[in-house]
Amino acid sequence: MARLPLEGIRIIDLGHVFAVPYACGLMADMGAEVIKIEGPGRLDITRDGPFSGVHADNQPGADSWNRTANFNLINRGKKSMVLDLGRPEGREVLKDLIRVSDIFLESFTPRVMRGWGLDYPNMKQLKSDIIMVSNTGYGPGSGPYSQYPAQATTQEATHGLAHVTGYRGGIPSKAGQSFVDFLATWACLMGTALALRYRHRYKKGLWIDIGMYQLGCYTVSEYILDWLANGRLGERLGNRHPSKAPQGCYPCAGDDQWCVVSVRDDEEWAGLCRLIGKPELAQEARFATHRDRLAHHDEIDGIVAEWTRSLAKFEAMERLQGAGVPAGAVFDARDVNLDPHLRSRGFLETLRFPPERGIGERVIIGRPWRLSKTPLSVRGPGPALGVHNRDVIQGILGYSDARYADLEQQGIVATRPTQLRPLAYMEMDERVRRGRLAYWDPDFKKRLGTEKDEPGVDAPRAARPAPRDPP
Amino acid sequence: MIPAALDDLRVLDVSRGIAGPLCAKLLGDFGADVIKVEPAGGECGRSMPPFSGGEAHPEKSLFFLLTNLNKRGITLNLEEPRGADIFKELARRADVVVESFSPGYLASLGLDHPSLEGQNPALVMTSITPFGQTGPYRDYKGGEIVAYATSGIMSISGTTDREPLKHGGFQAQYEAGFNGTVATLFTLLLRDATGAGQHVDISVQEVVTSTMVINQPFYSWTGGVQGRRRPEGTMFGNVMPCKDGYFVNQAGGGASWNDVADFYGHPDLKDERFADVNQRVINGQALDELLVEAAKDRTMGEMFKTASEQYRILFGIVQTPADLAACAQLEARDFYQEVEHPVIGTIKAPFGLWNMTETPARYRRPAPLLGQHNLEVYGEILGYTEDDVMRLRQAGVI
Repeated sequence: MARLPLEGIRIIDLGHVFAVPYACGLMADMGAEVIKIEGPGRLDITRDGPFSGVHADNQPGADSWNRTANFNLINRGKKSMVLDLGRPEGREVLKDLIRVSDIFLESFTPRVMRGWGLDYPNMKQLKSDIIMVSNTGYGPGSGPYSQYPAQATTQEATHGLAHVTGYRGGIPSKAGQSFVDFLATWACLMGTALALRYRHRYKKGLWIDIGMYQLGCYTVSEYILDWLANGRLGERLGNRHPSKAPQGCYPCAGDDQWCVVSVRDDEEWAGLCRLIGKPELAQEARFATHRDRLAHHDEIDGIVAEWTRSLAKFEAMERLQGAGVPAGAVFDARDVNLDPHLRSRGFLETLRFPPERGIGERVIIGRPWRLSKTPLSVRGPGPALGVHNRDVIQGILGYSDARYADLEQQGIVATRPTQLRPLAYMEMDERVRRGRLAYWDPDFKKRLGTEKDEPGVDAPRAARPAPRDPP
Repeated sequence: MIPAALDDLRVLDVSRGIAGPLCAKLLGDFGADVIKVEPAGGECGRSMPPFSGGEAHPEKSLFFLLTNLNKRGITLNLEEPRGADIFKELARRADVVVESFSPGYLASLGLDHPSLEGQNPALVMTSITPFGQTGPYRDYKGGEIVAYATSGIMSISGTTDREPLKHGGFQAQYEAGFNGTVATLFTLLLRDATGAGQHVDISVQEVVTSTMVINQPFYSWTGGVQGRRRPEGTMFGNVMPCKDGYFVNQAGGGASWNDVADFYGHPDLKDERFADVNQRVINGQALDELLVEAAKDRTMGEMFKTASEQYRILFGIVQTPADLAACAQLEARDFYQEVEHPVIGTIKAPFGLWNMTETPARYRRPAPLLGQHNLEVYGEILGYTEDDVMRLRQAGVI
């Protein structure tokens, strides 16, 4: 097998939710040994509680904390160790592990790491060339927001994205799906790779200090520059382009089916006019340039929508692209999961769970990079809680049987949570009724080719409303 | 010179637009010598608004400024055989090439990775394209809204009574730029170990889809397909109005629902009907009404401070570009860099993405003027004299 980029690298993942854990999951894909550490009474919130997301087949089962979608996607290919860091004996184990690790990533508030004597200056005493990555909401330091609690969902507003997002003329809108977390994921990866290269060349470790807020602000840089240079505050354009036209999202045949079109030059405009059977529009002076088309955008939208309305969204996309016009069907989650392009590129991968977990096979997103000589892939599902305690503590750290048994007896290590946050369970039908889901498709396994016998868990069998026709 | 993580690398940036140039620029921030290679008329990024002063001008695009800091700039016509040969000579002496042409274009000029690696087996080439180098959509045209549509994110953005909604700006392009840098760096680590370069294929569609960690597996776990939110009864957790603007409040974090109720100071919020997440969904409309009433006389600034400092509630306010330009938090984090540009003048540009010891991002130079470093770069790397450069310019190669 080809050598992987992070072969031989050991990573401690003390992050939670998305940003840091996702970075570590992607590094597991790249060959690193990633050890995720959770507390016995403080699981990653993608495992339990009201925001943990959805369980396999919407069945929490006997070990609900091992069955959520988000946890298993984000934490693919890792080892799981449960360690009570609130007690000194737990921290001693962690310190021993730091001594034999390369990278340490965490997303606590700075106070916590300092309190444990595990801030970077102390960390360096344990391992002189350790690479430490800290991810916080606003970043430590003297700034006024440094101590503010933060989460991606509220930062979309503060970092400027909500101000420029929204229907034209309407109120600001959120982006959703924890947007800035992923910028932080990639910042963790960039920082870690830079640090590894620096360590390789100069034999020194370093500390990377990420504040998600400024990453979010960076992706509205052009608006900040426009304000600084020209005093313009930016406006919400809906689906339109700031300088080119037409661009929009147009209705297609069926319920809630859409296709976007984006014309970047006059040639594409002429192509669009020919395709929709109105070549004469390309000759009209009032549509001649982007500026003209921007001025008559509403009228053009009506003409384009009239054409798209009779077509299935994928047919519209194919015909537009065939005519050289940039276009895309608006994919929903089912479209993404079944997309022939994403499948052919190997972007969608299948996680195979061990039979005792009763989850079977599940399709997840891989990575958005393909290396020509080094095939990468997810290396396993998210780990069941604490399943690698012994591998780490005895296998890596070499603790004796007696010492391990002692840790277990004291509850410093565990394989079951000592407390769980309450779940917010809802039947699939009710999720649809309450507007939490657009629809649900009971035949999803058949479509995905993941229909397998799953001991311990029955697939849903109750009568369901008919799903929409697949594309 | 202070050592930097990438100060031994040379990068050729022949990419255009936002994502590719941003990818190459980030390599420059950490020490790489990045040479931007443009056609004689300049790359299309030079025509992207906003412009300093408002009027289109090839040296005044602020987007171009942002994504081309820390580069030197040369011109070269890749479509002239002599130009292609010169590019090969440059690539022989480079570590990384960043490009964003349509798949197959560089191959048609004999400049794709397989053609270049014969001369330079250690070369890493990073391609950033709308749908990647393979698969049924590889020749499809892309763009920001196309990436948004085909990634799934647009289907859950906006409200059910309207069309799906793209986010503002060019988020997909920034995200693709970041991923270009991520993948290039990890490929370089591998190259450092093995001596072999390779071709890195980045699809903007896949980059944006990579953020769908809730939405994508929701389907493969349960068959559930998320949609857009309803226009009414879903305000909590989304954007809500207050006296002078808008705010967002999220449950969870360190604060209890009781803390949230106290923050708004409305006793009805402690009712059973709002006690947990599901209850708040079911009674969303009533909750909206209470919250709008409770916030109508309060300002963004006061609410942000009180919620964050006193109650530890997850809270955000809708800040404008003006707020960000004057933000003390960003100043304290060294987000801005003063840039002196020969045409634009002095401007404060977003620069610092994160802090790091030893090898932080360092600003060295503004974005290059078109062909600004032709003499310097062709002289330094290929040993061309001023006369050589002049002759190539007359022949339409440079």
